[in-house]
Amino acid sequence: MLAVILGHVLLISAQVNARPSSNSSALETATFGVLSEAQRVITASLDNVRAVWTGYVELRAVRSENEALRHDIAGLEFELQQQRALAEETHKLQQLLELREHVEPETLSARVIAADATPWFRTLTIDRGASDGIRSDLAVIAPKGVVGRVIGLPGPRAAKVQLLIDRNAAAGALIERTRAVGVVMGSDDESTLRLEYVSNLEDVKVGDVVVTAGIDGIYPKGFVIGTVDHVELGSGLYKGIRVDPVVEFSQLEDVLVVMTDQPTVPGFTGME
Amino acid sequence: MSAIRIGFTIALALMAQTTLARFLVDGDTHVDLVLVTVVLAALSGGSIVGLWTGTVGGLFQDVLSGGIVGVSGLAKSIVGVLVGVVVAQFVVSTVWHRAVILALATIAHALFFFGVYAFLEPVGPIFSVAGILAQVITNAIVGIVAVALINFVPTVIERGPFRRASLSRRWNADRGVR
Repeated sequence: MLAVILGHVLLISAQVNARPSSNSSALETATFGVLSEAQRVITASLDNVRAVWTGYVELRAVRSENEALRHDIAGLEFELQQQRALAEETHKLQQLLELREHVEPETLSARVIAADATPWFRTLTIDRGASDGIRSDLAVIAPKGVVGRVIGLPGPRAAKVQLLIDRNAAAGALIERTRAVGVVMGSDDESTLRLEYVSNLEDVKVGDVVVTAGIDGIYPKGFVIGTVDHVELGSGLYKGIRVDPVVEFSQLEDVLVVMTDQPTVPGFTGME
Repeated sequence: MSAIRIGFTIALALMAQTTLARFLVDGDTHVDLVLVTVVLAALSGGSIVGLWTGTVGGLFQDVLSGGIVGVSGLAKSIVGVLVGVVVAQFVVSTVWHRAVILALATIAHALFFFGVYAFLEPVGPIFSVAGILAQVITNAIVGIVAVALINFVPTVIERGPFRRASLSRRWNADRGVR
C-alpha cells in the first residue's frame, strides 16, 4: 500500500517539477488516445439512439413547423437583401479608406465526444486530434462565442479542450462599448466568469458585451465571450465584474477549432 | 472479485461518467461514478481491492481530465483502503450502512483531492461546498441503486425463465415425460 501511495506522490511531483501544464507525457497521450476511441464509439452509438428518437418525435410536429419556417424564410430573404446592400456599401467604404483587409479565420469543425472525467474540472474531449492538425493552445469557438482552448498533447483522433469557465482558464478581453481591456477568468461559481484588471475609472455597465481582445496569443480578436452581469467598485484599483457567458457549455455538441494563430474577425463588431 | 471484472467495471464507470453523466444531470455533473465503483469494490473485496481499484480508476480519470495525473489516483487509493478497513472492523450489511459509507467516502475523497491541489497549485480545481454536498447525495443514491441492481438482476434471472424451466421439468417428470 505504501509503495502505491509513494508511486502516486512521485508521479505527481514529477509533473509539478516539469510544468508548464500544457505538456503531457507520451504515456498520458497514448492512454488518452485509447480511451478517447472508446468514448467516440459510445458517443456515436448514443447519438444514433437519440437521432432515431428525436426523428420520430420531430416527425409528428413537422407540418406545422414547416409552415412557420416558410414564413420565417420569407422574412429572412428580405433581411438578406438589406444585409447584402449594407455589406456592399461597407466594402466600398473600406476600399475608400484603404483599410487592411481582414483574413477569415480558418476553422475546423469538431464534435464533442465526452465531458470531463471528474466533476471538478471543466474540460471536454473533441473528435479531432493531431492527425487533423490540432495542437495545444488553439482556440475553440461555437457559433455563439468563445468556448475555450486545446490543452495538453492531443491524441491522434481526439483532443482535450479547457472551457473558459474552468478556474484555471483565462483570456484577454475588452468591453465592446468602451474598449476597456481586462482579463476574463473562470470563477468559483461554476457557470460565470470574472473580468479582472479593469480600472475603477472605466465606464462599465450591466449588459455590456465582453469580447476577446486578441492580446493573449490564443483567442482571436472580436469573438463574443459574454455580457456583464454584475459590476462593483473594487477596494483596490480594479472593478469587480461578473460576466455571464453566451455559450451554454453544458449543451455543447459541435464546436469550431480556429486553426490559425490570432486571426481577426472580419469587421470586428462583436455581437450585433 | 477478479481483476478482469474490476477492470471492466472501472472502464464502464469511466465511459458512463464521461459520455452519459453529462446528459443525465443536465451538464453540471456532480456524480463521480469511478468513486462509487471504488467504494463498492472495497465494500465487497476489502482494502487491497479498494487500493487497486482506486489506483487504476483514479489514474485513468486523471488522464481524461484536465488536472495533474496522480491526484485523483492518490485520493481514490486512500479512500479505497479506508473503506476496506471500515468493512473489516464493522458489519456493513444494510442499504443505509452502504449509503453512509458512500457519503463519508465522498467527503474524504474531496478532502484528499482538494488538499493535494492546495499544496501543489495556487489555482486548483473549482472548490464548492455545494458541489461536494451535491456529490455526496448523488453518489449515495447512485451507489444504492447500483447495489440494488446488482442484487436484483441475478434474483430475477433465477426466478424468471430458469425458474419456469425447472418447474416445467418437474411437471414433465411428474407426468413421466422425458
